[in-house]
Formats: sequence, structure tokens, C-alpha cells
Amino acid sequence: MPQSTPPGQLARMNDQVDRSVRSLLGRIHVDRGIGRMLVLFVLAFGLFAILNPRVFLNPINLQNMMVASPEVGILAIAMALAMLTGGIDLSLVAIANLSAITVSTMFTAIASSDPATAESLGGFIALIGVLVGALAGAVNGFLIATVGITPILATLATMQIFNGIAIVWTGGKTLYGAPAVLSSVGQATVGGIPILFLEFLVVAVLIGVLISRTPFGRRTQLQGANPTAAMYSGIRSTSVLYGTYVTTGLLGGIAGLVFLSRNPTASADYGTSYVLLVIVIAVLGGTNPTGGFATITGVVLATLVLQVVQSGFTAIRLSAYEYAIAQGVILIAVMVFDQVRVRRRPRRAPSSQTETIALAEIPRA
Amino acid sequence: MSATDTRIRLPRIGRMSNELVLASIIVVLVIVMCAVNPAFLSVHTLFSILRSALVPMVFALAVLLVIISGGIDVSFAAIGIFAAYTTVSLAQGERLDFGLIGILAFAIVIGGALGFVNGIVIARFRLPTLIVTLATQGIFKGVLLAYIGSRYMAELPNGISWLSTANLISIESTRAYLPMLIVPVVLLVIGAAFLLRRTMFGRGIYAMGGDLEGARRAGFPVVRLQILLYVLVGAVAAIGGLIHVVLGRSANPQDLVGTELDVIAAVVLGGASIFGGRGTVTGTVLGVLLVQIINNSLILMGVPTAWQRAAVGFLLVIGVGIQAVMARRASRRTFVLDTVKE
Repeated sequence: MPQSTPPGQLARMNDQVDRSVRSLLGRIHVDRGIGRMLVLFVLAFGLFAILNPRVFLNPINLQNMMVASPEVGILAIAMALAMLTGGIDLSLVAIANLSAITVSTMFTAIASSDPATAESLGGFIALIGVLVGALAGAVNGFLIATVGITPILATLATMQIFNGIAIVWTGGKTLYGAPAVLSSVGQATVGGIPILFLEFLVVAVLIGVLISRTPFGRRTQLQGANPTAAMYSGIRSTSVLYGTYVTTGLLGGIAGLVFLSRNPTASADYGTSYVLLVIVIAVLGGTNPTGGFATITGVVLATLVLQVVQSGFTAIRLSAYEYAIAQGVILIAVMVFDQVRVRRRPRRAPSSQTETIALAEIPRA
Repeated sequence: MSATDTRIRLPRIGRMSNELVLASIIVVLVIVMCAVNPAFLSVHTLFSILRSALVPMVFALAVLLVIISGGIDVSFAAIGIFAAYTTVSLAQGERLDFGLIGILAFAIVIGGALGFVNGIVIARFRLPTLIVTLATQGIFKGVLLAYIGSRYMAELPNGISWLSTANLISIESTRAYLPMLIVPVVLLVIGAAFLLRRTMFGRGIYAMGGDLEGARRAGFPVVRLQILLYVLVGAVAAIGGLIHVVLGRSANPQDLVGTELDVIAAVVLGGASIFGGRGTVTGTVLGVLLVQIINNSLILMGVPTAWQRAAVGFLLVIGVGIQAVMARRASRRTFVLDTVKE
């Protein structure tokens, strides 16, 4: 038998192929949120493009989708960040509204005496709005890290407080007026792509880098994966939690600016249905609700999937209620699919049996 | 001597039962309110607080069961309005008006069926309850509005409409009325207390909340218990929805959904641990009452209703904050003791 390659070389080649296949498979496993969301995105997009190409593929519809996704998307990124540490932030939408209300009130107050100054101060006012968000986040951080209240309760309470302050402040009415800077950002496009969407992508990249490329991100992941181990490795959970919740508050503030950019009105009860939607997106995007794992790319894709489904449902004339059903069905289907796969794995690799139990038993924080 | 005395006494105060803390807060609040506004101390106030507490109380019992078992349910409000609205819209026609018992039974069956959906998904696939109920909340509400009806119904079927004006006690002179519906709510409270304290099912719920794997190894049929629990919670939520519809004398499919977090806040305020394994019916009843008393007293004090939300939020922070700080101190104390032993 002619054997051109010596056995040693063959073995090495075999190893190499094995290793690269394994690393590929490993990457698919790690990026499961990304992979499955990409598939869902293509499927959903294709489905609606076939069902009603005239409306769905209309450039205006595509642009609308890109303008609509940032406000939910930025909040979902913030939620994923909170979930990464094993927490949750129910107060995000209330923070966003508080920040929008701050900007709107400050602007109208200054504009009533001097419109020109108000416009020139637009950027400064917007900055104050974001700072209000960060401050609200710091309150969450204080309650969670210093006082030691469970994140879900602390943010449930601050949601009520921030929302209550917003109701008192506005008297339950809708405020009109926002710096023209914001509105112009809301309408502007670069090469057909809305600036708001680019803003969303920039936020996503920044937070993605923060999570996966910085020591702070490393610490948040460890803190979420195993708080006790993190403590014994010398990670100060207090500073990690403060950092996390101030960042989520900051993102909430930015989302508030996005609200104003799309529509120069602010009210206390805007986007109340977002609280739960944002959790749905974060989990769909592959965020582990018990902490330790999140991919921002997955979250961005999940935002787009839900946006496509929503616009698609409108394009084929299904109601918002049917969209709510679809949202729930997608969430359960993805989770069940995941769980079935995790359960099957033990037969192949015994070591992950502990993982199965751990996944099922970790108490939700 | 005195130093050790205080050291022994302090933890005792720390361990003062949550129910006692709540009860004292309520008493202090009532005294303060009476001092501020003597009109507060009246049967009228008492009855209106009880009336406003009826629906949250029923929902709170459902939430309590789930929280003790270590889960969080945010779909109960959707189940409640789904069951109530569907029943009312079916019973609307003269032929299908099957009277109070029939309507109640029908609503409970629907609620139980929806709860069964939750239970199956949660128990069979071991998924996080918050996320599953988030999803089913959207599904239930969507199905209700898309396929059953989105119309506001101002007329209730005769079988239940009489209940909305029926009073157990009515004092005409002070215009104080205690609705008949307090009877089923009290029965539910007693039933829940009995279930948790005296039955094996109740033990199982506490065991699952304490440690799911531990409960499984101790021989509790965890999957069956969980499914049963969610069916029960769905049925209780359906009763809550029906009471809401009867008290409001109208059925609006947009109602209730969105009030979940308020009910959860009241239950947690009542001392139920969000991690599971801990919680009492007494605490929950006091928690719900406290929230309603605060809402009511704010109105009487002339504080704008806008402050209600923030007030409940502050209360939650203070209540849970004290618990958290105490727990932290307690754990630190144990830690010190251990090192001394070594």
C-alpha cells in the first residue's frame, strides 16, 4: 500500500483537524446566542420579505425599523449588563423617562425666557439628562451593594420611586419640547442609515468592549458566575456592582435621550411595556439570567429580530396583540430548545452533568 | 454583665418577627393618621380600605405561594383578567348565564388551565419562572385581546351582577359598606394558611423554595408539586380577576396587567423571601393592608395621589433594607462566633 505520509505526520494532522473542529464547535457553543439569533433574524426577515415584499422591503419601512430599534435595544443592553452580574434592573424604563423629563423641563424652562440660549445649551441639557440617569443608577448601586438588597427588589422599589417622582413632577401630563439638537439627530441619516441606529451600534460596541476586553468586564463576569469565588479571588463586589448599576443607569439616561429624539415629548408612563420586553430581548440574546454570561452581539441581534417580527406583523396586517403572542412563543421556544440541548449533552460528556444540575438549581437573584 | 445582657437582647430584637414589625408599623401609622386627621378613625375608612384590599389580597395569596416555592410569577394578572373576561363575555347571552356557581367554576377552570401551561413549561423544562411567566403573560394577554375580545363590557351577567352591590354590613348613617365579597377573600386567606401549615403540599412548597434539589432528594415529587402549584395559582388568580370585575361592575380586558409588581412588592413587604422557602399568610395580609392604608392615608392627608407610587417604593426600600442589613449583621455575628470557637 502506498503511504505517502508517515504515520507521525498523519497523527499530527489528525490532531490539528480535531483541534480546529473542536474550537469551531466550542465557538458555536459559546456564541449560541449570536448563532441562533442570526438564524432567527434571517428566517424572520426572509419570511416577511416573501409574505409582503412591497410593504416590508420598502426603504421607508427598513429605515423605520432602524429608527425604532435603538430605544429598546439600548435598554436591553443595559439589562444584559445587569444580568451579567446575576442581577436585574427593573427601574431602567423609569430612569429613561426621568432623564427625558429632566431634559424636557429644563429646556422648556430656559426656552420660555430665551429660546436662543435654550437651543445653544441643548447639548449641555442633554448631558444633564444622562447624568440624572447615572445618578439614579448610583442609587440602585447603593441599595444593592452597600445596603445589600437583592437587585430585583431594590430596582422594583426604585422603579416605583423614580416613576413616582416623574408622576409628581409632570403631574401625570405629557411634556412637550426638547432641544432641536436631539430632534435633528432623530431625523438625520448617514448614507441612508439613521444616526440613531449608528448611535445604538456605537453603544453596543462600547459596552461589548467594556464587558469582554477590560478588567472591569472580567470582574463583572466572575461576580455573576460565582459571587463567592469572586470574593475569594479578591474581587470587590461593591465596586463591581456600583460600576454596573451606574453604567445601566447611564444607558437608561441615553435611552431617555433617544425617546426625545424620536418624539419631543416626555411623560412618566412612556414605554411601561418595555420593562418586560427588555428582559425578553436580553434573554433571547443569550444572556444567562442567573449571571456570568452575556453577549452584546446576541442582544443587538435579538433586538433586531423582535423589531423585524413587529414590523413584519404590521406589514402582513396582524395586530399588536398577535405580536405579543409571538414574542412570548419565541421566548419559550428558544429557552425550551436550549434546555433540551443542555439535557442531552450529558450522554456525550459526563462532566457537564453537574452543569445541568447547576443550571437548573441556581437560585435566581 | 450589662454588656452581655445587651448582646443577648439585641439579636432578639433583630429576630422580632416580621409580622410584629409590620403590625407595629400599621398601628403607628393609624395613630399618626388619627392625630393628623380625626376623620381617619371611622368605620367608613376601615371599610373602604378593606374594600380596596380585596383584589390585591387574592392576588397576593397566589404570589405568596409562588414566591415561597422559590419562583416569581408575573402572569397572574393576565390569567385573572383572561379568566374573568372570557367567563363574563360567554355568560353575557341569556342562555349561557349559568348563575354564580357556574360562572365561578368556569373562571376557575380557565385559570387553572392557564396555570397548567405555566406549570408544565416551568417544571418539565426547569426554566426560570420569571422568564417563563413573562412570556406566558404576553401570550395570555395577546390571545385574550386578539381572539376573545378587546371590547369594554359595562354590563355583567345577572348571575354575578347582584354581587357588586351586595353588602355584608352596611351602615347607612356613615355611608360605610362592607361588600359581601370579603367572605370569599377571608375564606381564601384561611384556606391558604391551612394549605401552607397543615398539608404535605404546603410542606413541599416550602421545601422546594428552600432547596429544590434537596426537596427532590427528600422524596418530594417536585415536578408534580410544581405543576399543581401553578394550576392552583392560576385558579386563585381567576377568582381575583372575577372579584375585580364584579367590584368594578364592568369587564375591561386591558385591566390588571401592569399591576403585578405592586402585588409582588406587598408580598415581599410581608416578609416573604424572594429566594423562596420563607413567607407567611399573616405577613402577606399585613403587607397588603399596609400598602392600602398608606394609599388611603395619603389621600386623607391631602397628599396628591401622584405620591402613592413613590411612597410604596420608599416603604419597600426601608422594609427590605432593614431586613437585608439585619441578615448581614446576623451572618457577620455567626462568622465571629465560629472563629472564637476555633
